[in-house]
Amino acid sequence: MTIVPARSSEWVRPVAQQEPASAIIEIDRVSQVFQTSARKDHVALSDISLTIEEGAFVSILGPSGCGKSTLLYIVGGFVSPTSGAAKMKGQAITAPGPDRGPVFQEFALFPWKTVLGNVMYGPRQQGVRATEAEAQSRALIEMVGLKGYENFYPKELSGGMKQRVALARTLAYHPEVLLMDEPFGALDAHTRTRLQNDLLNIWERDRKTVLFVTHSVDEAVFLSDKVVMMSKSPGRIRQVIDIDLPRPRRRNELLLDPRYQKYVVDIERMFDESDEGGVSA
Amino acid sequence: MMSPAAVTKYAAPVLACIGLLAVWQVASLALKNDSFPTAIEAISAIPSILGDKESLINILASLRRMAMGFGAAVLVSIPLGLLMGRSAAIAAFFNPLLMVIYPVPKAALMPIIMLWLGVGDITKTLVIFLGVSLPVIYHSFEGAKAIEEKMLWSGAAMGLSPLQRLVRIVLPAALPEILTGCRTGLVLALITMITSEMIARQSGAGNILFNALDMGQYDTVFAMIIIVGAMGICLDAIFERVRARLVRWSEPQFDMPLSFS
Repeated sequence: MTIVPARSSEWVRPVAQQEPASAIIEIDRVSQVFQTSARKDHVALSDISLTIEEGAFVSILGPSGCGKSTLLYIVGGFVSPTSGAAKMKGQAITAPGPDRGPVFQEFALFPWKTVLGNVMYGPRQQGVRATEAEAQSRALIEMVGLKGYENFYPKELSGGMKQRVALARTLAYHPEVLLMDEPFGALDAHTRTRLQNDLLNIWERDRKTVLFVTHSVDEAVFLSDKVVMMSKSPGRIRQVIDIDLPRPRRRNELLLDPRYQKYVVDIERMFDESDEGGVSA
Repeated sequence: MMSPAAVTKYAAPVLACIGLLAVWQVASLALKNDSFPTAIEAISAIPSILGDKESLINILASLRRMAMGFGAAVLVSIPLGLLMGRSAAIAAFFNPLLMVIYPVPKAALMPIIMLWLGVGDITKTLVIFLGVSLPVIYHSFEGAKAIEEKMLWSGAAMGLSPLQRLVRIVLPAALPEILTGCRTGLVLALITMITSEMIARQSGAGNILFNALDMGQYDTVFAMIIIVGAMGICLDAIFERVRARLVRWSEPQFDMPLSFS
């Protein structure tokens, strides 16, 4: 068992002591303060420091309102932190870029484009020739299990299928980091399980760095190498946990594995102790 | 052989028209009023109007002004509405201006515009332009405002610049709403076209109508009303076909999404 306090973990250290070779994303004392309608300051994130190593699957786990999505948006460059900074390969993040590909809970597909049109959009924007972009996109659509649906519009697809398209669309422009914002949060349990399995299969092929936001303990443990536990009001990192389970992971084996079960139970207990609702198994 | 549903679809409007004309005919015969010709008299006057070269030139001049006013309004209003929808500062600047112009009947501005620009094409086209602009701006604004922020973020992550996002994401995503505004604008273009010609009589379909009224040619008056109405119905039907084609993606082909995860 490798549950260690966040501050003493190898995972979270002052930025100065990190080996730059393996760190792909560094979050350095990031705080985010929003002004609410009552003109009161709401501290969404307080003094977050976190380093993400290249090729790691890292989940940010916490109750709703703990600022976990905001943290992801800061890494994406969609939101600027009130103080502190996020860096990608040593460069300060100031804007979105194709090196960081988001997948949102809301899918955010382009509804006027077909499945193929959505997936080709990124490569075409990057200047890939149409024939080449189309061939790559067709392969990706097949990889996410949507062969035969290339000419469908998003409106004609179910939620699970839309999220598959969104994943393919992001993978198509080869981001170095995948930023997944509760991607399966809007899906029913069965669909969710299937997509988790498929995401793991796809991820285990090329081991892209993934930052994955979720409020599901199960999901975080099943997918991740590291789980960053957050608490809310203000949003802080309370614990970073290494998930030391073998890969490739198979769901049916893992659910019976006592080590997996212990991670889930321990993390749930820690959330319960601090009486933080909103985190589900 | 057409299905019953198709028969209903095509027969219903025809029946409605015939019904309206029948009521008109009966009412006119019953009232026996000189200024209320029968439907048959009015319809009989249509061929002589459409066969008259002068009248045709007038009607075509109206349509040309309408097309120019509508086209210019759409070209200006869509970008303005989209910018207002995406920028609070731009919206804050233009909103009060539009609020002031909105309730003013555009035809009420005509006397002033006529003083400045005369009674010619420019004045009438400008009035049509004003009439069309507001609904198009409003719907473009609403459409742009309602766009899922994360769609724009996805575009930004792919490397689209702010201008590219406006043209290649905001514009297509807001298109259904924009075209709803354009459809309203098209009908308003027809209305302001006739009104402008009523105020500044010089040429046009409105000119024929009101000249006939002055001369007591009531069958011509009613015939022109039918012609203008038919023009409106045709333009709207053509526009609706184009609209439906352009935003086919926003109307599902299936009632239920496919059940596949």
